[in-house]
Amino acid sequence: MKAPTAEVEDGAKPPRSLTVCLVGMPNSGKTTLMNALTGGNFHTANYPGITVSLLEGRSRPELGPPISLVDLPGVHSAVDPSPEEELSCRVIEGKNTAVVPDAFALVVDATQLERHLKFAAFVARQGKPVVLVLTMVDLLKRTGQTLDVARLSEALRMPVVTVDARQGVGASRLLERIRRATEEVQEPGELAGLGDDPIEAYSGVRRLLRRAGALEQDPKVEQDSLTARIDRIALHKHFGFPLFILVLVVLFASIFWLAQPFMDAVDGLFGGAGDVFIGMFPDSIVTRFIAEGLIGGVGAVAVFFPQIIILFFLMTLLEDSGYLARGATLVDRPLSYLGLHGRSFVPMLSGFACAIPAVFASRSIPTLRERLLTIWVIPLMSCSARLPVYALLLAALLPGAAGKAGLSLAAIYVASLLIGSASAGLIGRIAFPGESSSMLAMELPVYRVPRWKIILRMTWARSSSYLKKAGGPIVVIAIILWVLSSFGPGTAVAGLDAGDAAPLIVESEMDASFAAGLGRIMEPIFRPMGVDWRVGVGLISAFAAREVFVSAMAIVFHVEGEDDESQSSGLLAAMRTATFAGTDQPVFTPASMVGLIVFFFFSLQCVATVAVVRRETNSWRFATIQLVFYTGLGYAAAVATVQGLRLVGVA
Amino acid sequence: MIEVAADRMNLTDVSASEWREIDRLEGPKTECRRLMDLGLTPGERVAVVRSTPMGGPIIVVVRGTQLALRRREASWIQVK
Repeated sequence: MKAPTAEVEDGAKPPRSLTVCLVGMPNSGKTTLMNALTGGNFHTANYPGITVSLLEGRSRPELGPPISLVDLPGVHSAVDPSPEEELSCRVIEGKNTAVVPDAFALVVDATQLERHLKFAAFVARQGKPVVLVLTMVDLLKRTGQTLDVARLSEALRMPVVTVDARQGVGASRLLERIRRATEEVQEPGELAGLGDDPIEAYSGVRRLLRRAGALEQDPKVEQDSLTARIDRIALHKHFGFPLFILVLVVLFASIFWLAQPFMDAVDGLFGGAGDVFIGMFPDSIVTRFIAEGLIGGVGAVAVFFPQIIILFFLMTLLEDSGYLARGATLVDRPLSYLGLHGRSFVPMLSGFACAIPAVFASRSIPTLRERLLTIWVIPLMSCSARLPVYALLLAALLPGAAGKAGLSLAAIYVASLLIGSASAGLIGRIAFPGESSSMLAMELPVYRVPRWKIILRMTWARSSSYLKKAGGPIVVIAIILWVLSSFGPGTAVAGLDAGDAAPLIVESEMDASFAAGLGRIMEPIFRPMGVDWRVGVGLISAFAAREVFVSAMAIVFHVEGEDDESQSSGLLAAMRTATFAGTDQPVFTPASMVGLIVFFFFSLQCVATVAVVRRETNSWRFATIQLVFYTGLGYAAAVATVQGLRLVGVA
Repeated sequence: MIEVAADRMNLTDVSASEWREIDRLEGPKTECRRLMDLGLTPGERVAVVRSTPMGGPIIVVVRGTQLALRRREASWIQVK
């Protein structure tokens, strides 16, 4: 399916068709509604404040003439807003030139009418057509409420439409009503008369609801009983925290257990494809380029896609159920001790998938200090791009011991959390001394049974956007590396015959290639880490994206899928036999491999992350300091590890 | 400010599942305004549902919504 979504950038020109903004409080179901209206793939998490950028989409053709829809981040309060709340408020007030709404779809959680209608007053005051959209109507039974929609509409003097966004019911009726509202003369409605003062506004809302008799509350039901029962365990005094740790351990461990069969399949597929290709065509430079450069380079990384997709799936599942908000509540205290915030938890956890969405997700953190500190620690979280690198190095380090390799990997994940936390505590005290004055005041959504369709759709959206992002650099770097390592300066071969016009570039052995020439110049940098220039070439190319290291290794060590051998076992064999040029000293020793793992643990080898951090912090200084600090730290730690291990007798 | 009248009580003093009426908010102005925007206005009924381990946030119910409040925030909310 073609994704009709696009991030709205500043300066984008307003579309010609009707523009409708979905507005509401966090967790009102806006993004799920957006999904139903556009049939597009959106981030629809059951966690307050998850929408971190404006999502734009076009209504599905079945729903009538197209309407351009913009999903705005949820707003708790227009007072002292977080950056994403501020963005929404500016759009609602018509102060943002990128998005100029013709009408609003005001999304309101039917089970929390008072709170949501109070916010609605802010939107109603803007004088633009507004249609009130009631969501979560199916949950009214659980909260002991009965609602008369016709009376509500009458009382508010505003069109009201109910939808079940999760089922997609009511979508066409809503759009029809919005079209009609933009043609009618707009009367301000009762909500517009409510003031800004929260006490007056709330009593005004209550007065309106009472007068209409629209809402009845069963006095025996005070909150959703299912949520209360689950929270009794999830937030239990003694069991709450161990359960939380258990959930995280299961999350990370199952990435490896669940992915194994898929990884074997992908590995075999690429290994086989290379052989078939070589067998089908006559040996030529093009054949070899495709077999070695493209299939080899891309295949080395593709093996790890199943793990990445499973990670995205499990995180989406956790979000949609409502548990993530509980996790954030549980860790608020320890995180705030480190200068972070309960809301830092979701960005940090996302950082285990990819730093880029994680940096975006930190927009929901209210204070600048905590936001910057969260962005500071995100690159330390062991992102999925490191996974292929660790998996390769651990397989080489611990041959035949999958159990030990798995445990080592789990240890690396835990260490990245602990060291990230320590780094936050330390840097927070140095860079931002003094007490934090932030607030938590976070809404805990009700638990809901996950809807598999939505979760799978979102897992696919996240995975495919990740693959699109990572795929480009992997292919480009694979091509560049293959060319650099397959060709060399012509004079090196034909230099003796000065009279002839010697070709400037000739096909050459690895040792005489451009890559070798460049690598040898830089070799003194990599020697202290216990590796040669070939690994150095891999480390440099990994700045495009960390997983490129694996395909770079496959290319510089000239791995082809030989006979029955699959891609990754071919690379492992090549690594085992690799020696420093002119000696029989192996390159990949236990010491040098541990050193490489340490380097990848700290180093910020990701151009995209640096660019996103620069954009989100609006500071080249912050992004540069972060890049230099982590990469320098990684290098120093790797050299110290290798030299230290050698001192104690580990080669 | 050391002496506290015996009848003065804030949300952190309320035992679980006991409904109280909010009397007033005493704390930093912007923060209290935000709490009121979330529904914690004077005159409204509020209950502490549970407290989380290790001195973490407390969970309160107000206007049918569960909110996680840090103890510092909860202590601004005077109840009767």
